Amino acid sequence: MAATSNATMTAAVPTTASHAKMRNSLWWDAFRRLKKNKVAVASFFVICVYVLIALGAKLGLLFPDVAIGSPSMQYLPWSWEHPFGTDVLGRDVLARAVHGTATALSVGLISSGISLVIGLTLGALAGYYGKWVDGLIVWLYTTIDSIPYILLIPALTFVLGRGLINVYIAVGVTSWVTLCRLIRGEFMKHKDRDYVMAAKVIGASDVRKIFRHILPNVTHLAFVQFGLGFVAAIKIEVILSYLGLGVDPSTPSWGIMLDDSKLELSRPFWGNLAAATIFMFGLILSFNLFNDALRDSLDPKLKNK
Amino acid sequence: MQTTPNEKSFELPPLKVPDPNAFIQVNELTKEFPIKGGLFSRQIASVKAVQGVSLTIKKGETLGLVGESGCGKSTLGRCIIRLIEPTSGQIFIDGQDVTKKQGEDLRALRRKMQIIFQDPYASLNPRMTVGSIISEPLEIHNLFDSKKDRQDRVKQLVELVGLRPEAVNRYPHEFSGGQRQRIGIARALAVDPSFIVCDEPVSALDVSIQAQVINLLMDLQQRLGLTYLFIAHDLKVVEHISNRVAVMYLGKVVEMAEAEELYRHPSHPYSRALLSAIPVPDPRRKDQRIILTGDVPSPIRPPSGCHFHPRCPDMIEECKTTCPSLRETRPAHHTACIRA
Repeated sequence: MAATSNATMTAAVPTTASHAKMRNSLWWDAFRRLKKNKVAVASFFVICVYVLIALGAKLGLLFPDVAIGSPSMQYLPWSWEHPFGTDVLGRDVLARAVHGTATALSVGLISSGISLVIGLTLGALAGYYGKWVDGLIVWLYTTIDSIPYILLIPALTFVLGRGLINVYIAVGVTSWVTLCRLIRGEFMKHKDRDYVMAAKVIGASDVRKIFRHILPNVTHLAFVQFGLGFVAAIKIEVILSYLGLGVDPSTPSWGIMLDDSKLELSRPFWGNLAAATIFMFGLILSFNLFNDALRDSLDPKLKNK
Repeated sequence: MQTTPNEKSFELPPLKVPDPNAFIQVNELTKEFPIKGGLFSRQIASVKAVQGVSLTIKKGETLGLVGESGCGKSTLGRCIIRLIEPTSGQIFIDGQDVTKKQGEDLRALRRKMQIIFQDPYASLNPRMTVGSIISEPLEIHNLFDSKKDRQDRVKQLVELVGLRPEAVNRYPHEFSGGQRQRIGIARALAVDPSFIVCDEPVSALDVSIQAQVINLLMDLQQRLGLTYLFIAHDLKVVEHISNRVAVMYLGKVVEMAEAEELYRHPSHPYSRALLSAIPVPDPRRKDQRIILTGDVPSPIRPPSGCHFHPRCPDMIEECKTTCPSLRETRPAHHTACIRA
């Protein structure tokens, strides 16, 4: 059915060969399915708004004077000028939350980027080569996995010290296990498939088999896992900062805002709690919804054959 | 030949010089898959998939290989082209020892031998276009200098197997089973091989499509002078396409002869049972099927003596101890049965 509709489209609209190629690929197929999903489109829009907010904050377009406050403005209630009031140092809470977005997104992106690279590489090597390579890598990740992350990550940040870069590293090097395990299993499954056998028969090297043949058939799983890791990394940063192990207190972070708010609730001052919670809620909810939709659209079993 | 693993390690393989008349020569090929288990993953047993098979195929000939599922016919075919590493034995293709080749030499030799897979859905990478699937072997072997020449060759191959030239920009999931099998054939032909293992190439296709693919394979053989090892369990298809036929049972060739000779005068009891199972399109003809009792024994612990003796209707006491080897029972007709 898809083939005939494509055929008529090709006849009606003269396009270049590369265009036709793209339109029929499985990636394009998945994108079409994703586009049809209204929840996915809406949550993608929300994620884009967050990204714009973060970029605006980083480029100094939004609330450039985030760190400036005066003791005379301490704990102002909400007003049109300060929608979430001001904190103990008289800084605008909304500005802190906006700049916290940049912190959160950078932790999500860089940490899950690190774990993507580690997990994909080790998983591919373990699954493809098997034998002692597999043994070593499995030993490595079961060892890391056997330590509760709530102990491991604080331990690492104790060693590395507080700071944003150390949070990237600590979260990145501890969160690749799930992806690695997944990719390892997929490689074990795919390396004996006929299409890989066919590549062997035509004389393809290991590198070609891994990168040209197997990897494109498992990257969709890495995508989904990257999205899940992104959300998890954001949450871990918040927890670490709340515990006083994450970013430096001067860095705007939702975790630090929550940490501050635990003493402020008795005043009562709810600005920090409300701002951090609302910002986190929106980002994590839309990310999770988008991930679900992404997984559905990439699942070959749900494809209309 | 029937030895325990301990004795085997002291046994040197018989070194035979390649037969000048044979294009493909297989000597005493054995493949055992180890089964690991226990505390330290020791080898506790092995699946003896192929046990000392010897055969030859002449240039331009089709050797049919039949047998039931799990008898080792696919393993044998895959060992011959080094898709699976054989445990022992020799394989010559055009006088060159396939088993001794490594690295770059092996890659160069791969141009001569190709395979067509059974499942046309699993054997094509779903993320690659048909064009890149077919041109990949050309890239690997650096067969054409310019991209233009390579594209021309791909177009030529696509037309050779009877697909429309637009197919090169499409993805495998846009094609039917028969068309996909044609893509697989084009990929195998890309490097201009002389020997092709057809590993049940039509078993996964509709009957109406089977004939088309079989005819394509026969046509290509004539035009390109190909040599085929045709693996199948459909006896009628094998009879149609093969010059000679070998029957396998539990890792061994039990009978080998010209196709017509074997189908008219099967002399191994297993071949007779197999052939009697072919349905005849004649309702008045009385069915005289030989029903074999029991299942195929496990290739982990094959029976003593003749592997077929537990199920053989003509079994005598000697069959339990004597392991029959292939001998000429009729002119150019080899059978591994002491009673034939």
